[in-house]
Amino acid sequence: MRKFISILLLAGFVFYFATLAGGLMIPSSSADRKSVGLEILSRAKGETGAANAVTSVVVLYRGFDTLGEVTVLFLAALGISVFMKGTGEKRKTVLDQSFILKTGSRLLFPLMFLFGIYIIAHGHLTPGGGFPGGVIIATGFFVILLTSESVHFNKTVMSVLEGLAGLSFIGLGVVGLLGPGNSFLQNFLPLGKFDTVFSAGIIPLIYAVVGIKVGAELSSVVYAMKESK
Amino acid sequence: MVNPILLIIIPLGTAFLISTLASALKNTTKYLALLALLANVWISISLLPEVLQRPINVIIAGVKPPVGINLFVGPLGAVFSVIISIAGVLILLYSFKYIEGEQQHKYYTLFLLLITGSHGMILTGDVFNLFVFFEILAISSYILVGYAGDKNGFEAAVKYLILGSIGSIFILVAIALIYEGTGTLNMADLAGKFSTLDPARRLMILVFFITGMGVEAAVFPLNSWLPDAHSSAPSSISAVLSGFVIEIALVVIIKFVYTIFAMTEVLGFLAVAGVITLLVGEFAAFRQSNIKRVLAYSSIGQIGLILFAMSLNSKAGINAGMMQIINHTASKSILFLTAGYMIVKTGSYQFSDYRGIAKKMPVSSFFFVLGVLSLLGVPPFFGFFSKLNIIIAALHAGGAFYITMVFLVLLGTIIESIYFLKILQVFYARDTAILDVKEAPFLPLLSIALFSLVILLGFLFLPQITSYTGNIASELVTKLQMAQVF
Repeated sequence: MRKFISILLLAGFVFYFATLAGGLMIPSSSADRKSVGLEILSRAKGETGAANAVTSVVVLYRGFDTLGEVTVLFLAALGISVFMKGTGEKRKTVLDQSFILKTGSRLLFPLMFLFGIYIIAHGHLTPGGGFPGGVIIATGFFVILLTSESVHFNKTVMSVLEGLAGLSFIGLGVVGLLGPGNSFLQNFLPLGKFDTVFSAGIIPLIYAVVGIKVGAELSSVVYAMKESK
Repeated sequence: MVNPILLIIIPLGTAFLISTLASALKNTTKYLALLALLANVWISISLLPEVLQRPINVIIAGVKPPVGINLFVGPLGAVFSVIISIAGVLILLYSFKYIEGEQQHKYYTLFLLLITGSHGMILTGDVFNLFVFFEILAISSYILVGYAGDKNGFEAAVKYLILGSIGSIFILVAIALIYEGTGTLNMADLAGKFSTLDPARRLMILVFFITGMGVEAAVFPLNSWLPDAHSSAPSSISAVLSGFVIEIALVVIIKFVYTIFAMTEVLGFLAVAGVITLLVGEFAAFRQSNIKRVLAYSSIGQIGLILFAMSLNSKAGINAGMMQIINHTASKSILFLTAGYMIVKTGSYQFSDYRGIAKKMPVSSFFFVLGVLSLLGVPPFFGFFSKLNIIIAALHAGGAFYITMVFLVLLGTIIESIYFLKILQVFYARDTAILDVKEAPFLPLLSIALFSLVILLGFLFLPQITSYTGNIASELVTKLQMAQVF
């Protein structure tokens, strides 16, 4: 009976895809259609002042989605801390890595941190931005955590950073809401000189808080995983 | 005018605030959460009359749609926001006593994010933004299901996580195909452009979307996660998940089918799926001995009934379905919340252990009975009017097909009443077992009592309620208001 049902289900699944496969066979004809993407490309430079058009989409045109994605990451980190809530007991054997690894990672860490900040700060000019920059910073912490057993973070500082970064994102949005445009996440700062670090209004500010948030969240995820059994 | 975007950013901001202040505030974070949700109740209620006059279109980042993202608050969004905020605040009140321990700030953060996701899903006017809020809603519910940290909860959470993630991949593929084909993600814009796609492509998008969202809406056969998740979660979370989370996913499916895909020819299929879901849920509930599993399976049955009503392709059907959603939110929350304290006090999930519990917990048992009666549709409770409307709408649809469906729906109701009466019989048995239990504390009872006001006094406000739900029906069926975005 079980076998019969599973064969039936499998047959149903195959039928399901066979019927739908027709939808895939159709050649795409979107080239002649007016797409939102093309429109954004033509107006992003003048409207947002960001040299990197992708950034203008991520932070401004679809900034509300980015706020949501940051929240998803926040949730994922929170979920890991709920499910791995400390067993409390310390591991008995402390495996300390060799001197070369430890010194090497400590040497590497400030460089990675600096590079992460560079990626975040230039998000509106070159490929990169808050998400990759935050990941690079978290990788720096990860290297330190992997090589030195005795390193401890202050979890409270991490969660305060996460929360404050999220609050500042919303705060920047609310300033736009209260401003003349009366629209959440509206750019309220001058656009500045195109293709310089101080340009594109609130885009670098938002990327900075995203970077802090992503960096703090991923670091605390790694730390929670290390601390649990 | 109050900006509807506050409904999303107030709970979201409060969640971040709780995370910031958690170590300083310790166990008082719940009051912050309460404040945020009370603000939401006030905002959503104050929006209602305005929206009935004219739907509100909120532009985000100062960029007009279709290039930017917008929120579209029509009658559907406004009424659902009221349901979400009121149910949210009452269940939060229940959690004050029910959820204890050092980690509780994480519970309240997750709860607020779940509310954020719910409001976002129902208010957004953009397809991809819908996906983002869907993820927030789904991930926070996965975590909350396993919040208690026991083995069953964890297993249920992982099961829910796996199925839910597969579902969200389907939705994402559907959205990608939509953008590839039409070059837009805005719902109102899509409503005009979707019909230019090739029929085979349209069918593919529709099926992918319904499959993905159907996992969250627990439509048969995509609902195998629900009985575990809804029964292993903390009872307050079971009430949230059964009370409005599955309904939101269902309403999104219905909204897409009517307004964006505009493929009303699949409604017959959805009606059949609804009736099958109803019968599967009720038959499965009949065989359970764990009280929360009974309620979870009964939720599957009810979601099937709502799906059936909303797929009738008539205003009357959607109207009745919306009333049934209100009824289900109130009555199923009452049932889960009362059952929660019965489980805490007796230490058992088996309702056969509750013999004569009505003598020891008279107030809880009384509310349980109220919930059951409204769920079954006994007059004069609110459930009677919603079920009556569903049957009338189905009979109006006419034809042998719908008459058979009505027969099957009534069969489901009979089964439902048999197993619920079986439980009530145990509760009010004369021979009291050696139960040394006390009544639930005041605050949870207060929250349950406020829920029961909805089903008790609902019939007094029938004209008002039907005027709102009727507006939702015309919003979906005539699609007129979609055009007002531009």
